[in-house]
Amino acid sequence: MSSEARHLHPAAMLIDAARTIRRWVSAFVIPGVALLASRGFDTRTLALILLGAIVAAALAAIWGFLSWRATTYEVSGGAFRLRRGVLQKNERTIPLEHVQSVDTVQGIIQRFFGVVEVRVETAGGGASEPDASLPALARADAEALRREIEGSGRAPVEEETAGPTVLRRLSTRDLFIAGATSGQIGVAFSLLAVFSQVFDDLGNVFSEELVRRVFEQIAPNSAVVVLLLVLAVGLLAWLLAIAGTILAHAGFTLSREGDFLYIKRGLLERREATIPIARIQAVRIVEGVLRQPFGLASLRVESAGYGEASGVSTTLFPLLPREDAVKLLLDAAPEFTVDPTLEPLPARALRRYVFRAIVPVLFVAAAVALASPLAIEFAAWGFLAVFLLVLPAALFGWLRYRDAGWAYGGELLVVRSRLLARTTTIAPRRRLQSRDVIRSPFQRRARLATIRAQVASGGGGAELRVTDLGADAAEALTGELGPGARRLRR
Amino acid sequence: MKAEPAERLDPRAKTLWRITGALGALPLLAVGGFISWSLLRVAPLPLGVLPSLAALVLFVVLAGVIPDLRWRRWRYEIRDEEVDLQRGIFWVSRTLVPLARIQHVDTQSGPLQRRFGLATVVFYTAAGANQIPELSAPVAAEVRDRISELTREQDEL
Repeated sequence: MSSEARHLHPAAMLIDAARTIRRWVSAFVIPGVALLASRGFDTRTLALILLGAIVAAALAAIWGFLSWRATTYEVSGGAFRLRRGVLQKNERTIPLEHVQSVDTVQGIIQRFFGVVEVRVETAGGGASEPDASLPALARADAEALRREIEGSGRAPVEEETAGPTVLRRLSTRDLFIAGATSGQIGVAFSLLAVFSQVFDDLGNVFSEELVRRVFEQIAPNSAVVVLLLVLAVGLLAWLLAIAGTILAHAGFTLSREGDFLYIKRGLLERREATIPIARIQAVRIVEGVLRQPFGLASLRVESAGYGEASGVSTTLFPLLPREDAVKLLLDAAPEFTVDPTLEPLPARALRRYVFRAIVPVLFVAAAVALASPLAIEFAAWGFLAVFLLVLPAALFGWLRYRDAGWAYGGELLVVRSRLLARTTTIAPRRRLQSRDVIRSPFQRRARLATIRAQVASGGGGAELRVTDLGADAAEALTGELGPGARRLRR
Repeated sequence: MKAEPAERLDPRAKTLWRITGALGALPLLAVGGFISWSLLRVAPLPLGVLPSLAALVLFVVLAGVIPDLRWRRWRYEIRDEEVDLQRGIFWVSRTLVPLARIQHVDTQSGPLQRRFGLATVVFYTAAGANQIPELSAPVAAEVRDRISELTREQDEL
């Protein structure tokens, strides 16, 4: 399939001009302010600035038009070609079989014009074969381009079928629940910490006297102030986490057409991503701490790119009932559909899990004991605190032990573990790139071992790990996961 | 699982590792010495000597003990279908990489390695690299060719 060279949507001119202006503004804002500060606000200065701005806008618009005229793209001869450049001409050719995905993004400006940005992503070539980006295409043209590029590998039979079938859509209610339970509170907290620096500077605006009086009014007790402050910050962080989720995942839609999954999401910036089903290496069902009690989970996939270890770890669906996860997989990635009963770890592993969990706390205890020979009362408080920490730590160890498990059958390895969230990972045997059995002297004494299997994913691979399963089971399992075992079974 | 992998690294690896270990630990000695020197001006004798003593012990461990232990543990074997590696001093790990997953193989040798006539075989899967370090150069070349040949023989599965 080939086509003649096509131009971008005319909105590209404006988008390009806007980008140029944005660059100029950031370059001129400091000298401009300096100029204003030195000469004051008289009419002549203002007129000068206005004139400058008009000339700049006109230049940017002309440049935008020229670069729009110079930019064409086409699909021909088994390759995607992009020509660009007003003065220096640039032609980029990407062989279609090197195209990993054709993604569309709709930023706020693009949204305004009803166009999309199309990103042709390649992988494997690295720096020598960069991606191509088309800043503005009409939706229909973008769809046509995607079909041309992706269709090259497929039979062009399903032209004009109903299009992708929607597998699942995130409801508004679920969107809010996803935000509220996202557990990104930590991230939001650190953001707040950064902002608090800014607030500190803002705080200088109010006189200290005023602040103190306000605090004396509402809370004479300093402990109450601290508590209120912590609560307020916590609430703010939570709201930020919800807002972040809404921005990223609003209107999340997972659909499928043929061998491709399509993900659409985003509130202000609409993102569309393509995942070739054949490139999925592993599926993860993640039950966050706040979600598990409600039987909710999110689905992630690890997928490999073209050729070498490039690929992505993507959210396949942000929130769904745990029992629906398997049903969704049946439609989205049938190869990964399995929900076996897992082998638990041997009872002797519990001791090691609890031990591992309380060791950091014991270190804290040692530090407290060393630091406090001077103040007896302080030491007593310290020990109380440590004692209060040891119990939750032990409980956490027990939880991790209870939730760990594995299963292998039907060529699928399933591994469950908990860091904070309980994560079930599913990977087919033929996707495993390597397996390790790891043993520390302690494990050897308890006849336990850790196994680790790696699959390809973005940035060097993802792993499936079971800590402290029986040594014999570990060795049997690694053997079974190898290529030799399969031959024997035949 | 099968018995330990059969092959060992070249014995010259121990010498090489002792040298690199010593070089790596030199800054440690310097730091320990410096702390002692500054402590000795204000503190009583035994306390002042402690940092350099600790640094010395670490130096001996890094340059003298670890290379030996590491060499004794390191084993490898290239089987018909998998590469089998065993390594690690405290955490002993046994790695199995199916030949069918290996994308390409390199041999590498740094200046110091070349001086000892040693080379490292590095093989890549889609999930990252694995290596067999410090083989004598001809053995490394042989291992590299063997892996690449066997990799080609594997049918796609």
